[in-house]
Amino acid sequence: MKLAVMSCIHGNYEALNAVLSDIDAQKADQIYCLGDLVGYGPHPNAVVEMIRSLDIPTCQGCWDEDIVEGLNACECSYPSQLAEKRGHLAHEWTNRAIHPEVREYLASLPMTLRQDNLCFVHGSPNSQHEYLLPSMDGFTALERVLSTEADVLFCGHTHVPYVRDLANGCLQVRVLHPDGVEREHQFSTPLKRIINVGSVGEPRHGRPNATYVLYDTDTAQVVLREVSYDYERTCADIIAKGLPLIFAWRLARGLEFAERADDPSHICQR
Amino acid sequence: MQWAILSGIEGNLAAYEAVLQDIRRQHSSVTALYVLGDVIGLKGDNEAVIQRLRSRRNGELEPQVCRGWWEEQCFSLYGLTGLPKAPELMAQFGSDGVKHLWESVSRESVHWLRSLHFGFHELDCLLIHGSTVSYRDELTPDTPAIQLCDRLIRADANTLFCGRSGLAFACWITPYQLRSTVTTLDATQSPIEYGKTPRRIAGVGNVGRTSGKAGYALYRPGTNSIQFKTVTYGAVRDFAVTER
Repeated sequence: MKLAVMSCIHGNYEALNAVLSDIDAQKADQIYCLGDLVGYGPHPNAVVEMIRSLDIPTCQGCWDEDIVEGLNACECSYPSQLAEKRGHLAHEWTNRAIHPEVREYLASLPMTLRQDNLCFVHGSPNSQHEYLLPSMDGFTALERVLSTEADVLFCGHTHVPYVRDLANGCLQVRVLHPDGVEREHQFSTPLKRIINVGSVGEPRHGRPNATYVLYDTDTAQVVLREVSYDYERTCADIIAKGLPLIFAWRLARGLEFAERADDPSHICQR
Repeated sequence: MQWAILSGIEGNLAAYEAVLQDIRRQHSSVTALYVLGDVIGLKGDNEAVIQRLRSRRNGELEPQVCRGWWEEQCFSLYGLTGLPKAPELMAQFGSDGVKHLWESVSRESVHWLRSLHFGFHELDCLLIHGSTVSYRDELTPDTPAIQLCDRLIRADANTLFCGRSGLAFACWITPYQLRSTVTTLDATQSPIEYGKTPRRIAGVGNVGRTSGKAGYALYRPGTNSIQFKTVTYGAVRDFAVTER
């Protein structure tokens, strides 16, 4: 079975259309979406309507959560203070623009989705706000996969696609009790995998193209897809809608244009 | 240098006094006293314990106290942090428990409890009630190894002392093998081999939960050794020691 997994559409209808066309051409059997349907981009309602009309299983992203719950996350929601300031402007605009039924739909989205040995989340199994960066400590990354009891963990949120294979994991544990009893055991894991599917509507890998992932459940083969589309049209709409100009600038370059957070794996204490 | 580390007084002043007395009896003097939360609870005299912690007697060490599960329930009841009306407390102890906790801690004491730290980083150790993930994180020897490993990495410490479980144990974790390979749109990076030196999670026992028997731990940073102590107090007195 061929799966197409996408994330972080961020109200970019042009990019979504292009990715859906590519998924059609690749003959995927099933599509999953890892959230962040809204925010930053100019067409949040149209994006949600499209996802709903195609009945695509979708989990809740951090932007979807913030639109439902209000902006109550701590600073970990954004990779920098600059990003946070721009994010707040986008949040206010999106909050005004979305229709009540869209808000209801976003509220109904689950945190995680499962299919056999696959788990789908937006950020991490802990939180929609946690960034699973490829540079994260290997054992920490392994813990995130193991906590789901899946073999493959699909995530988004960072907007940069990657596949991370975690092989030959082995830990030794020696427990010492006060009564003198000691026990020792070894814990090893088969290959586990994190697949970050990148971003459809707000890529940050250095090019303006939309990204998503194809995954073959029979062969475990992963293909990182990069799809070009008319991003200038989305940029023009961003400007026309009165969203911050910097969103158009960075969309055209596929850049975040902000420094990294000190601790992107920090757990939100909201 | 020797630290006394304890947790879970739970309002039991007699148990805490017994531990203090045992600390005074040590051949090697104790240079720091850490209390890893849960100074209050449902059974004892919470106000008396709080006043005792706040009023150090001559020659006594100043206790370094951090917050625990019970303190967080108190903050929740007072609407100071987390969800209001202490749903965790309600689920475990019902409305009687909520009422008792509300009535047994004064507003002034709640403000003092609020001033406590979430944990302490000292030398290469983290001293905390649960873990850096949450005050409710209950680490035991039966916690999955990878989860213990994750808590140590998050803590950025070689020894994590915790009190949430109430158990006394030392658990050495050696994450000695893992190969990580990252593939991006542009390239497959060279594999990275992860392997770390052994690190330890230690449960420091519980002072006040079991009447007549108080547990705590002594730690010597110089030798990196932990000694678990059980102090029997009341009618029959007995002292048990195990070194790890």
